[in-house]
Amino acid sequence: MTSQLYQESLRTELVKNLSYYFEDEEIKETLVKIDFFDPKLRQKILALCIFLSKMSGYLINRILKYAEEASYHLSLNEMERWLGRAFDLIDSDGLEPALTFLSKVDDSSLNSFCYPEGLALEKISSRLVTYIRGISGVDLEIIQDKDCFTDTSTIYLPPVINRFREPEKNFTIYKLMATYKWAQIACGTFSLDSSKPKPCNTSDIETLFNNFQERALSLDLYNILEAFRVESFLQKHLPGLMRQAGSVKTEIFNERPSVDGFSEKTAFVESLYQYYLKRETNGSSPESLIRALKVLHAYREKERPSSQDICSLYTIAEYLKGDYVPVNPILFLGTIKPEKVSQRLKIKKEALKKNFHGLIKKIVSTPEFEVKLKRNNRDISRQRLINREKLYLFIKGMFIELDEEMGDFFKGKGGIPGILLQGSDIGGNNYCVEMDDLIEELDEESRETQSNGIKYDEWDYKRGGYRKRWCSLFEVDVYPSSEPFVEHTLKKYDGYVNILKKKFELLRRDPKILKRQKEGENVDIDATVEAFADIRAGLPSRENLFTKLERNERNIAVLFLIDMSGSTKGWVTQAEKEACVLMCEALEALKDRYAIYGFSGITSNRCDFYRIKGFQESYSEEVKKRIAGITPKEYTRMGPPIRHATKILKSIDARIKLLITLSDGKPEDYNAHYKGCYGIEDTRKALIEAKQQGIHSFCITIDKEASSYVPYMYGEVSYLLIDDVRKLPNKITEIYRKLTT
Amino acid sequence: MGSRAVKTEKYQLEKEPYYLPMGKEIELFESAYRNQIPVLLKGPTGCGKTRFVQYMAWRLKRPLITVSCHDDLTASDLVGRYLVKGGETIWIDGPLTKAVKVGGFCYLDEIVEARKDTTVVIHPLADDRRILPIEKRGEILKASPEFLLALSYNPGYQSVLKDLKQSTRQRFIAIEFLYPPKELEAEIIMHESGIDDNTALKLVTFAEKTRNLKDRGLIEGASTRLLIHAAKLIRSGIDTKESCSVAISEPLTDEREMLFALSEILVSLF
Repeated sequence: MTSQLYQESLRTELVKNLSYYFEDEEIKETLVKIDFFDPKLRQKILALCIFLSKMSGYLINRILKYAEEASYHLSLNEMERWLGRAFDLIDSDGLEPALTFLSKVDDSSLNSFCYPEGLALEKISSRLVTYIRGISGVDLEIIQDKDCFTDTSTIYLPPVINRFREPEKNFTIYKLMATYKWAQIACGTFSLDSSKPKPCNTSDIETLFNNFQERALSLDLYNILEAFRVESFLQKHLPGLMRQAGSVKTEIFNERPSVDGFSEKTAFVESLYQYYLKRETNGSSPESLIRALKVLHAYREKERPSSQDICSLYTIAEYLKGDYVPVNPILFLGTIKPEKVSQRLKIKKEALKKNFHGLIKKIVSTPEFEVKLKRNNRDISRQRLINREKLYLFIKGMFIELDEEMGDFFKGKGGIPGILLQGSDIGGNNYCVEMDDLIEELDEESRETQSNGIKYDEWDYKRGGYRKRWCSLFEVDVYPSSEPFVEHTLKKYDGYVNILKKKFELLRRDPKILKRQKEGENVDIDATVEAFADIRAGLPSRENLFTKLERNERNIAVLFLIDMSGSTKGWVTQAEKEACVLMCEALEALKDRYAIYGFSGITSNRCDFYRIKGFQESYSEEVKKRIAGITPKEYTRMGPPIRHATKILKSIDARIKLLITLSDGKPEDYNAHYKGCYGIEDTRKALIEAKQQGIHSFCITIDKEASSYVPYMYGEVSYLLIDDVRKLPNKITEIYRKLTT
Repeated sequence: MGSRAVKTEKYQLEKEPYYLPMGKEIELFESAYRNQIPVLLKGPTGCGKTRFVQYMAWRLKRPLITVSCHDDLTASDLVGRYLVKGGETIWIDGPLTKAVKVGGFCYLDEIVEARKDTTVVIHPLADDRRILPIEKRGEILKASPEFLLALSYNPGYQSVLKDLKQSTRQRFIAIEFLYPPKELEAEIIMHESGIDDNTALKLVTFAEKTRNLKDRGLIEGASTRLLIHAAKLIRSGIDTKESCSVAISEPLTDEREMLFALSEILVSLF
């Protein structure tokens, strides 16, 4: 569909929505207002209006007025960014914040979008992630936010830095921001000691700062304190970066406000910030500042942060006059947000619990589970004796030591596998395993999957942009079924399977030795002897005296993506499962690498990606059970699974990579908006992304109306319609043969 | 023809190769040698596997024959072949046969690069039979007790294609080589290049940062070998950052974004 056609359809949709609120005349007026905008912007404006029209028609005219106002200040590209930001806000925070954002059309608010020389985070975020990963060795995510802070696993940075004319300098600011945030994590800024008495006797950084009467003041003071400490850490580890910081600091210092006219408290904080930047005070410093500097100097060499020092610094500030009006933080230092840290901690703990619970289930379900303790390759279970005070979970002859929290979790939970035991009830000479050692067993990927799912962008054709991190995909195994499905299928297709295997074996190109070659690795003795005879006999000698090994390896990896939506119930699932069995048999004969995954899900928050067979797995009993266990689930949101399959295929080293999708209809989801154009466009985009990664996609469908949309998504030649689902198992193997020869 | 894969310039090492032990590898290797067990050296590229074998050959006073494996290496390249010379066919020993005959060390470097069918010829040599059948001549060579087969292999390439078969693996004792600890690595760089300890330590720090990026854009981090190259350049007067860029970053990757990030790390460190 062209963008003009889109606009037409969007326009029709808008008119329909507006007719609930307005008379025809008024609608016309609104449309005229929309036409005021450049055609390039119109699509985004229309998309925004349609979104608003679902809430209230009256909002539209207001927003159009703001947009018009903004367009006087911003260029076309800047306008696009401005609207893009509004959409991002709708996605992440909801309507209210987006409306507030849109209503701010004064110079200073729009300023951050006029940045001919400014540097946008999205342009450099991948470099920054790599940089931080390199210097830190840990994976930290970088996400756009209006402030600069961290929650200990993500670094939030502003969308644009336009402080300097030169992009390199703006990049330095980003680099400093990210590095300072990582250094705060590395230096323990967010895990304050709790050994000291009141009022700082709490370890949770959020509770600690809630105890201060003036929270904003205490946080700013802590930010400064930590800045000193973190800086001496960075000085040691990244001296080059700190030299760069030096020149930036001077420039920033020159812009700091004068403290004249500030309240004593505000002036105090500002002076400390300025001292941090310049490392000198002007001659007549108030006594409070001198005392504070003493604290700072003692603090900067400390290994760990201390709540005592922030308390003493706060005490100095507390007795100063006037109210504290927060000053602007130093650009690259950002701020400290304890509430975000606590939030993250809670999420981590929850995930840990789930993980552990999942792990226990795994131990129970795997008959020959061996406790492999990776840490330092030593067998910890031999070294740790049972502690009488602690709580243990007894599973498969092994005592797992639980920490307090996990203990409570298990006590409160019924139906756990294994037995809960108090240390004192177990004989003293037993050994145990630590929880952490077991958890290390779970690889990172599954950790990510267990907590929040893997995030994928989704293409919104209406606004012509991605909804960022919109879908959460969870990779899970198909629950294995003990039903002898594979055996039945093999019986059913008995003769055919054998023919199929033969056919596929023929495709296999085993290396073979070619005789009588002009060039090759070895002398062809037969040919040489003949040649001698020929020469002796006075005949011209032949040239083809060598043998050569010919190798035409099939370097192919294929991923089958199977529609497990509810609509496949009955014959379709049956056929899909049989197709899986036949493909497995055939591919085992051919020895191509293959994987089979199923997909389904409900809404963007839960896109399930079912593993039936991974690339590294063999066609084992377990895989057969999983094939038998394929059952129809919910809906067909196709974008996220295709993106995830692309990611998997990307990691495979093969010359030809194929993605074959089995489907029974159009993409659709629980909420109607994925249906139709939106779903088709998103799927198409996901397939284009796959193509860019060098992956060939092919679709096999049984939807009789497929010709109206599948060619658009996959391309004219990359799909096949099967009229009778019962033919699927035979057809799919044929198609694969044709595709790869 | 295959002979290009064979390095035969010298079998007997005269000068002691520099090698700084990191753990018990010398003891393990000697014990394997005495018990006639072949040795598999695992570890990332440029971490000292080849140097270690050279050192051991020198230490145990055995000739060393090294074969750098590649995917065109055939069994004949290892065992030997008939060549046509002046109207006659003559037999030429391959490096493996030579090593068996002289009772030396045969070191197959990067064995996974060789084709699987090639790898199989070492099997009878690598178990208790210790024989090398030379099919074309109908001969069977029995290895002397001094003969030792050593393979090197980099498990870092996670491709299924480049994995060692179990039947091959389970004939060897395996010694794992990792990048040396920071101080030792710096010492090695100092020794090999003659650079000062401060710069050597900084180079190692940079290498550590690149190793953090393994599987996150880099296939492997910087090896000790690359660090030595950089150190040598620095020593001959080339600017530090320039040296690191041409000797470390650029060889590691071609990707612009990654190179940019590496240069930023470099700037931050020095």
